[in-house]
Amino acid sequence: MSELSLKHVQKSFSEAHIIKGIDLEVSEGEFVVFVGPSGCGKSTLLRMIAGLEEVSAGEIEIGGRVVNDLPPVQRGIAMVFQSYALYPHMTVYENIAFPLRVERLPQAEVDKRVSAAAKVLQLESRLQQRPGTLSGGQRQRVAIGRAIVRQPRIFLFDEPLSNLDAALRSEMRIELMELHKRLGSTMIYVTHDQVEAMTMADKIVVLDVGTISQVGSPLQLYHKPDNLFVAGFIGSPKMNFINGTVTSADGTTLAVDLGALGTISLPRDAKLGAGQSVTVGIRPEHLQLGTGDFTLDITPRIVEHLGIHTVLYSTLPAGENFVGLFEGDPKVSDGQPVTLGFTRDQVHLFDSAGKAVY
Amino acid sequence: MTSSRSAVMFALALLAPALIYILIIVAYPLFDTVVLSFTNAALRPTYDFVGWANYERIFGAGNFTEVILRTFIWTFFSVATKMIIGTLGATLLNAAIPGQSVFRILTMPPWIVPMAIGIFMWGWMYNGQFGMISGILQNTGIIDKPWPILAYGDSAFWATIVTDVWIGVPMVTIYMLAAMQSIPKDLYEAAWTDGAGRFYRFRRITLPLLVPALLTMSLLSLIATFNSFDIIWILTQGGPSGSTTTMIIDTYKTAMGSRKYGEGAARAVVICIFVSLFCIVYFRAVRKLSQGEAK
Repeated sequence: MSELSLKHVQKSFSEAHIIKGIDLEVSEGEFVVFVGPSGCGKSTLLRMIAGLEEVSAGEIEIGGRVVNDLPPVQRGIAMVFQSYALYPHMTVYENIAFPLRVERLPQAEVDKRVSAAAKVLQLESRLQQRPGTLSGGQRQRVAIGRAIVRQPRIFLFDEPLSNLDAALRSEMRIELMELHKRLGSTMIYVTHDQVEAMTMADKIVVLDVGTISQVGSPLQLYHKPDNLFVAGFIGSPKMNFINGTVTSADGTTLAVDLGALGTISLPRDAKLGAGQSVTVGIRPEHLQLGTGDFTLDITPRIVEHLGIHTVLYSTLPAGENFVGLFEGDPKVSDGQPVTLGFTRDQVHLFDSAGKAVY
Repeated sequence: MTSSRSAVMFALALLAPALIYILIIVAYPLFDTVVLSFTNAALRPTYDFVGWANYERIFGAGNFTEVILRTFIWTFFSVATKMIIGTLGATLLNAAIPGQSVFRILTMPPWIVPMAIGIFMWGWMYNGQFGMISGILQNTGIIDKPWPILAYGDSAFWATIVTDVWIGVPMVTIYMLAAMQSIPKDLYEAAWTDGAGRFYRFRRITLPLLVPALLTMSLLSLIATFNSFDIIWILTQGGPSGSTTTMIIDTYKTAMGSRKYGEGAARAVVICIFVSLFCIVYFRAVRKLSQGEAK
């Protein structure tokens, strides 16, 4: 049985349709990440699950029960806010104990649950401090502690790492993944950072202007994106796109004219007619120097040396940006022409509507 | 050496306008008042220094301590009522109710109406023959003859407080509303997610986070109310029989009514000492609160 089930869920603010009918199933214990650019509706969707926003249409089920009209506390969820939402006038102990105080649990039970949460989150020595004296990472842990003590069915995280610096963010990412393993709870996590999504999720839900663009495991999304949006959103640096036109299709092979770059033939049985516009996609890390089924000559504008990687930035004759990512130091420098190649099986093809053609 | 000296001169030049302003507007009159309080200045061209005689007279007269006590009682009830009504009003204005902006505007008239006009309006409302309050009480049968509220000591005392509250409440309301709106919405959402009801959220989140604003506003209101002159002067001129005479009214009556400038100045100095004490408490509180925030 699904832990969470969204059935054609919609949300409108007067004339603006923010969530345009979303269907999703989340299984027990899954770590699901909602990812998408700003304004795609991911936070709104999370707040609807939490009960902080009303559902305009559709149904939200948690543990098999429709919760549309239930207040947050009766939904079996706990939420960690982007700002942490810690009470500045209360100690760490009282912040974590807040939901238990609301429930009027006996002091012994409050002590037991707060201590257990503090132990898991390594906050035992901070319990008498105020949030203002804590670092960003510690505040984050207090916010998680307040969620843990409620023993919810589902944890909801709204961009919880976005206020932290890069180093702390990657540290907290690992802590959250370990916490998920230890608690085994269902977690729904909202982020605009595709690296967070790729590293943490069992299942990624890519949202685009209020609709689901694709749902799948991180590697499914990486290797088999359903459309141009997902292909461009997942992966860093993002996938290179080259516009082309189909010149012939015989049922097994498609020939695509890439203008000044030449013609590439791809093994596809799709019924695309000659003259149809398509987009060819190739990930920067799938490019090789000099060899491949298809080669093209570029002149790097900028070369970034990262030690472990080298990134080349160039522009194609038709004006598209073209980026290459290579391991180590391939001894190229800006302004010096190089030949790049790639194999046919690593090429992605999208039709004129942006849908992937496999 | 030269450059540090020119830096000092430059700093002084920048400070000069403010310093000159303070010297003329604040320091000189204050100094002159203190000097005057040790003289027998009256409506004649010359005066003599009389030492502590003015102070001995006002504290020896007996009714001055009564005036001080009355001023404190008047101030306490006025400030407390303003704070309670202002905070409750701010809570209502902060609640998500339809027509919220209309209600916010409706709180403003006591502040917008020129103070003297507002006070005259209250003076008419308190009138026994033509006043609204007496009229309504008679029509409803609560009293059977006209009640000139300002003609009796007790009722005049409370009537001046009511008018002061009416004028002072919008300021407190707007200040407290601003303080409430500065509390992040996330805190309420987090508490609501955890099952905290409206009253619980008010008690455990709003109220504790409003303490700095409540304290600051109370002290500012205390200073302003302690020195409140126009309301009492326009309504009762300190009467009947001195029942609404606060320290500031007493000082004015002595200095301007009886033309005893020296004695009036001594009373003004006493007021100044009290208000200075309130200011010291205020600044210490503000410093402590800002230190608390920094922690």
